[in-house]
Amino acid sequence: MYDVVDFLLNTQLGLNSPDWVVMLISHLIVVGMLFVVAPLQVLFLTYYERRAIARMQDRVGPNRVGYEGLLQPIADGVKMFTKEDIVPESADKRVHLLAPIVTAAPVMYMFAVLPWGPNMIAVDLPTGLLFFFAISSISTVGLLMAGWASNNKFALLGAMRAVAQVVSYEIPALLSLLFAVMFAGSMSLMAIVEAQGGLFISTTDVPSVPDLGLGWFVFTPVGFLAFVCFFIAALAEGERTPFDIPEADSEIVAGYMTEYSGMKFALFYLAQYILNFLLCAITATIFFGGWQGPGVAWLVNQSLSADNPAGNPVYNVLAGMLGTFYLLAKTYTFFFVMVALRGAFPRLRIDQLMNFGWKFLIPLTMINILSAALWLAITRWGTAQGFSIIEFAGEPGNLVRWVIAFAVTLVINVAAYWFLARLNVQDHVARQAALAAGWLAVSPPRSA
Amino acid sequence: MISAVPLAWVLMLASGLFCIGLFGALSRRHAVSMLMGIELMLNAVNINLVAFWRYTQPDEVDGMIFALFVIVVAAAEAAVGLAMAIAIYRTWQTVNVDSVDSLRG
Amino acid sequence: MDLVVQIMFGVTGLLILGAAFMVVSVRNIIHAALWLIACFFGIAMLYLLLQAEFLAVVQVLLYIGAVAVLVLFAVMLTRQIDDPEEPVLFQRWRSTLLIAAILFSAVLVPTIYNHNWLIFTDPQPAFAGPRELGFAFMNAYLLPFQIAAVLLLAALVGAIIIAMEDQEQRRTRVLTLAEEIALRREQEPSPPTRLANPHPASSMSSNPTPPPTPEQAGEGT
Repeated sequence: MYDVVDFLLNTQLGLNSPDWVVMLISHLIVVGMLFVVAPLQVLFLTYYERRAIARMQDRVGPNRVGYEGLLQPIADGVKMFTKEDIVPESADKRVHLLAPIVTAAPVMYMFAVLPWGPNMIAVDLPTGLLFFFAISSISTVGLLMAGWASNNKFALLGAMRAVAQVVSYEIPALLSLLFAVMFAGSMSLMAIVEAQGGLFISTTDVPSVPDLGLGWFVFTPVGFLAFVCFFIAALAEGERTPFDIPEADSEIVAGYMTEYSGMKFALFYLAQYILNFLLCAITATIFFGGWQGPGVAWLVNQSLSADNPAGNPVYNVLAGMLGTFYLLAKTYTFFFVMVALRGAFPRLRIDQLMNFGWKFLIPLTMINILSAALWLAITRWGTAQGFSIIEFAGEPGNLVRWVIAFAVTLVINVAAYWFLARLNVQDHVARQAALAAGWLAVSPPRSA
Repeated sequence: MISAVPLAWVLMLASGLFCIGLFGALSRRHAVSMLMGIELMLNAVNINLVAFWRYTQPDEVDGMIFALFVIVVAAAEAAVGLAMAIAIYRTWQTVNVDSVDSLRG
Repeated sequence: MDLVVQIMFGVTGLLILGAAFMVVSVRNIIHAALWLIACFFGIAMLYLLLQAEFLAVVQVLLYIGAVAVLVLFAVMLTRQIDDPEEPVLFQRWRSTLLIAAILFSAVLVPTIYNHNWLIFTDPQPAFAGPRELGFAFMNAYLLPFQIAAVLLLAALVGAIIIAMEDQEQRRTRVLTLAEEIALRREQEPSPPTRLANPHPASSMSSNPTPPPTPEQAGEGT
């Protein structure tokens, strides 16, 4: 963006603007695009979810407002704006007002580190991934504030359960993303995306692979297991089915949102949808290459940049558009998976949810980190690191090394999954079999 | 930042925060309020460490590592302290630290 | 440019000290916890001004995302009907305030002012990012790193054990009628007057039957 603006102002129009003017204008354009794009996305996603879930439930969904119901989100917005804002009399007024703000504001910050295209990121923080999850953990404070300020026992209980769920699933989410930091060598999301060029094999592992933008991390056993773990943890963080205890009407009225109406409820709803959109976008970025796809690298090579001043700025725009198209296509695919899971699964009980997170996902993600370390050792180490046994396969960057790493990590991951699944089994017949085989210690059966 | 703000100002900010935390930890009677005062004191120490790292030795990472360890220890101590407050509440039905003044047995 | 940095430092310092003062002086403890979160945020802003970005992100993640949530949970789980702070919140506050003021004004400030700090004047310091921290943790500071990991494990297990409630006092299933009666019998010495209706045919009539004797009711189960 900086290069395009610089080219436009300095070369095309001939103005000799100082450096800070170009930077200011480029930042304003990026921030403006983000502020316009983000709420529009969320509006479209609410409509999309309602139609998709209706089709899964053998009904039509909203199709009255506008052509095929496309103006339904606007009708929803008007409804939320015009509803009366009811605050309970014995509630803490100021905390009641602040809670939706503290929940909704941090999720807007998370757009700052998302890479939309080649060189298209608002702020390329060196600690981008950690920033993403640190900011999302501020919303949990908003949930507690909402539950306490409502002066309602159900709301407080719902808030505590929601916070317990979100905090417990932040750990497997972060642990399952560590492998990407190890593969890319940096926590910057741009670096993680750029490490995923190639053709089903990343060019950072085997540099001789042609760069078609398909060397995604999900095509490795480490990345695949991490993708499954992260997607499940992201479902729990965004409070989607099957982890939607905090907002299940049949369970606890509306949980922490019980005493909220009108615009404040709309803010909670908006925060939840934006968070889910961002989690899908992060899944696409880290596991599926983000803006990488066939054609983007070729367009970038021809475009104007600092080390290619003879390029054509049209290719800049084309590369950006193609990259954004790939990212949004992948994000919407994952959002569709989230909606499909909502239509297909019943919800988990709170103790089943906690058991699954702590006893299954966390050990699995830790073993995934071990596999990631082995992958790096096999594909990149040599005699210098005291790993001379691998030298028989050739020098680092060899295809044979990649195959060996693939096989070793596949065996470890599958074995870990099988072992942990047997250990956490709940079915009675399987339980008897596990007891007989000695996998489980004898303990009294729990009531359902 | 180095040229604009002298080190003494940052250190005075940290020592002011430390004294406020000290006042909170000593004069409050609720167990959780005392822990909040202790957290303020630990954060003041962290500001001190980071300021010294930035102003005197920014090319080494020792100051930052010290600050990270202080954060880790503070988090562990907050967890155990709050667990003890909950356990005391379960036995004594109060968290006023002046009331839990007799050993059992 | 210097003035801008000074103004930002002043705003950050005001936020930190103002929020800290509110932490120690508000009466409602939930408000105190929320002011503590504001103070942590101000400290993260200060770390960003001091160019310690990794530490700022870790401060937000750990202090606001974990410690503050833990404090709020503890406050919500130990709520009392009456305000415990009423008479004794400020019992010794005058002497404590004096001690804190003397410490600040007579000990710390003169020490800071009268010392000649060795300031590093290189305009481009090395950036202590995650890579350099990682190298340091794996080479020079490996033992403290492992000890910190063991400390966290001990704190985790210890906190769980301290805060865990007695398992055998908790019922895991609905009691049968015999067990319910046995439980009530040991809780109250005199049994209730009406345990079971011995005449189901006349249960719908408005004429109440005389209450059965305890032996009759006990035999009826």
